[in-house]
Amino acid sequence: MTKWRVMTVDDSAAILTIIAAYLEDSEFEVIAAERDGIMAVERFAQERPDIVLLDLIMPGQSGVETLGRILAIDPDAFVVIVSSLGTEDAVHECLTSGARSFLQKPFTRDDFIDFMRDLTQVA
Amino acid sequence: MGSMFFGQYLLSKGAINREALIEAIELQRKTNLSLVELAVRDGCLEPQRAEGILTRYRTTDAGLEELCLEYGQIDREKLDELRRNQQSDWVRIGVALVASGHLTRDQVVEHLAAFHEVQHEANQQLEADFRACNDPETVRTVVELAVFHLKRFTNGPVKLQNLTEDGGVLSSGRRRYAQKLLGDRELCIALDLPSQVATVAAQGFIGIPVEDDSEVAIDAVCECVNIIGGHACTRLEASGFRLRPEPPFSTEGDEPAGELRSSIRARVMAGDHEVDVRVFV
Repeated sequence: MTKWRVMTVDDSAAILTIIAAYLEDSEFEVIAAERDGIMAVERFAQERPDIVLLDLIMPGQSGVETLGRILAIDPDAFVVIVSSLGTEDAVHECLTSGARSFLQKPFTRDDFIDFMRDLTQVA
Repeated sequence: MGSMFFGQYLLSKGAINREALIEAIELQRKTNLSLVELAVRDGCLEPQRAEGILTRYRTTDAGLEELCLEYGQIDREKLDELRRNQQSDWVRIGVALVASGHLTRDQVVEHLAAFHEVQHEANQQLEADFRACNDPETVRTVVELAVFHLKRFTNGPVKLQNLTEDGGVLSSGRRRYAQKLLGDRELCIALDLPSQVATVAAQGFIGIPVEDDSEVAIDAVCECVNIIGGHACTRLEASGFRLRPEPPFSTEGDEPAGELRSSIRARVMAGDHEVDVRVFV
């Protein structure tokens, strides 16, 4: 079975660890994990993952800036924002900037896998 | 004297010593079962499903009863039966102290009456402290969210004791995990934690063992603060505040003391450790 290739971007190593653990033994494979936006854009250009899970609040280049740069490389890139911030302003900004979906932290494994499976229906 | 657990009150009054309290708590740990543990014991919940419910409880805002109904395939009738059994078998700290021979029943009754009076006053004082704060709505939102999430992450008893205003200096033996929230106003939230509490919270959050003060543990607690900060921004948006969190950080120094006008210090008991939740406004 071909797995969905996922890139995760979060300044928190804990969140990268949790997501990798949640996706283990699933139809998703984490092919890249980056802790800052600039590196994430470079890695995206090399790997062209099917789905990018992108943190919003990061030091240096923010999630929204990173999103813009990824979409400049590939306007069809499937980028999902994953953030603890769930304000209407933040969600609106992300979606109007080209993110395909928004997931608020924290989340359980089951909820996360369900969310990822829903994404594959539209990705 | 702020809000506290009964065992802590007895300790402060010299009615028992620390060893007696630890012995009683151990007895409670062995005897008192959570709803999920009771359901597993009664064979109406598979251990694997129970683990899933507990993970969900630690990482979402849902209550344990609600989760048992939704994911445990337990109906309301069974749940009510489990709850009744839990309440009838539950050993409170006073009963545990009597059972272990450290206090008589009459002594417990007498101390409990005095404790309730003290608690009533402490709760009233706590309300007055919240109202007297600079920016009370923000302080209350942050402190309540911090207590709520600390309880989830540490999977143990957490109790807000009192609120004071001070210079925001970090107490020795603790590390500060903080996050600035910027927008209509500037504030910073912080958890000042001893390493034992930080480690337990980090493990509860990631779900794997971590070493004290390791990079992973520090990072995980920063993410816990990030969740508190993010949820505070979300909750305060309903009151018309537009706030956005900065990346969380950890320090052994006093940052951001001095940068902002005042620091509200909420003293919180997490198990038998004292921790501080701070709001710099």
